[in-house]
Amino acid sequence: MISWDIFCKVVDNYGDIGTCWRLAQQLAFEYNANVRLWIDNIESFSCLCPSLSIDVSRQHVGPIEIRHWKSDFPTVDVADVVIEAFACDLPQVYIEGMTRRAVAPVWINLEYLSAEDWVEGCHLMQSPQSRSSLKKHFFFPGFTSKTGGLIRERDLDSLRAAFGPTVAAGFLRSLGVDSKTDDELQISLFCYDNPALPRLLQCWADGRTSVRVLAATGAATEQVSVWFGEEFSADRKLQRRSLTVHALPFLSQSHYDRLLWACDINFVRGEDSFVRAQWAERPFVWQIYPQAQNGQLVKLAAFLTRYLDNFEHSDVVRRFWQAWNGVGDIESAWHGFVANRKSIQEHGKVWVNQLDQTADLANNLAHLVRRK
Amino acid sequence: MSVKIAGDLRSGNVIMVDNVPVIALKVQINKSGRNTAVVKVRTKNLLTSRVSEAIFKADEKLEGVMLEKKECTYSYYSEPSHVFVDSEYNQYEIDAESLSDIEKYLSPDMTDICEVTFYEGRPISVVLPQTIIREVEYTEPVARGDTSGKITKSAILKDTKHDLQVSSFVEIGDKIEIDTVTGEFKRRCT
Repeated sequence: MISWDIFCKVVDNYGDIGTCWRLAQQLAFEYNANVRLWIDNIESFSCLCPSLSIDVSRQHVGPIEIRHWKSDFPTVDVADVVIEAFACDLPQVYIEGMTRRAVAPVWINLEYLSAEDWVEGCHLMQSPQSRSSLKKHFFFPGFTSKTGGLIRERDLDSLRAAFGPTVAAGFLRSLGVDSKTDDELQISLFCYDNPALPRLLQCWADGRTSVRVLAATGAATEQVSVWFGEEFSADRKLQRRSLTVHALPFLSQSHYDRLLWACDINFVRGEDSFVRAQWAERPFVWQIYPQAQNGQLVKLAAFLTRYLDNFEHSDVVRRFWQAWNGVGDIESAWHGFVANRKSIQEHGKVWVNQLDQTADLANNLAHLVRRK
Repeated sequence: MSVKIAGDLRSGNVIMVDNVPVIALKVQINKSGRNTAVVKVRTKNLLTSRVSEAIFKADEKLEGVMLEKKECTYSYYSEPSHVFVDSEYNQYEIDAESLSDIEKYLSPDMTDICEVTFYEGRPISVVLPQTIIREVEYTEPVARGDTSGKITKSAILKDTKHDLQVSSFVEIGDKIEIDTVTGEFKRRCT
């Protein structure tokens, strides 16, 4: 059984730990790997994994060992495979253990996801380390066969196929959300602080179509609260003319997938939910993580170029996504987007078929390890 | 030995990799996620001349090599080398392959003060100033009534014919400032 150490530092939000937790589970359950996940912020992790004890430094969740990564790092056996997620720096004492190991571990820097062309030219490149003979491999998730692929569990398709309307209705009821009517548009909202949201909420409130928004706890509910001028916590509902907004409790990863499957349009952000929205095959819009000097717009454009290739309504998608990321008028862009919703949904299936040609990320990692 | 941060690496810098001095021939910095970056470097082994590639996180510390440096100006090209000259009119030939990252900016008229690096008495690389000014030989004029919303366009530099993206208001004959590290247009010089 190959042992894996995955190191994760929570910078902000839940994307880092969300991705690492999915990966850890997939390696453990699908590849029979012996996985140990090191995480510096157990409290953040516990939101995704409520069974965790916050004040325990070593525990198991199923077959996966969870270790609280603290500054006084203990002496431990180094794993066969070491992953530093999202360019975090490994503890020096652990690196020293890696150099002393009789067989050098496979050392992987799991990078951020990007659709930019340069990623293909950097994927699997080696990084010599100045203080040792160890070699680190840079592993880039991506959307093509020349990258590391995306996280996707083997049973994802079957689970989604089994999620029919009756199951979806039951799921939403469990969240305190009653069944929607046929003419109601159901939208999931997961976003960073977004200056375009108030105008969009207004547009929905003033529209002729009933819009039901299921808002994730955090920046989304905070902005909704300000717009309504009312407190807005989990399990509450607010309404203004055609718009109804439900505040959702914090959802586990499997429940978040189901939310995406249950909605007509999904608003997502960052990296983890962005990938899950694609697998959901529903129209979606992505708020990309903001970077210095609007660097995120280059990354957004790179993804749109790939995603919208050969799509006849690419212009309406591009306009709406850009407006949601601060470029252009959100209201007019929304009207174009929603008017072409069915076509965009069909295109989402075409896109996923294209992604199916690339092995998933865990598979590519396992393949890299087997080669070393 | 000195410490070099990977994100500060430039073509012509010399670092130790696997205890061997290598010169950076081409440095490509790509922004990754959350304001981090990765640095892809094509290097040449100074002992064996073998060319290879490596990648680093931008904040990674590398072992730099202290080398002799001299301020020089560009003189001319004599295949297969470019020739630089110092203030005492000593000439130094550097093979074009070592300068592949900056060749697009080398023109006989340039007066930029460059830094030539020497390893064991041999000139091995040149570093240009962080920014340089070059003339635009050709670019498409901005059509009146153009509502395409494009904010950049292609421009060709005089002498080297290097093609880069510039702001749409740049015109033929304009002098423009270029960042030699990123290769990006910075501004039009009046």
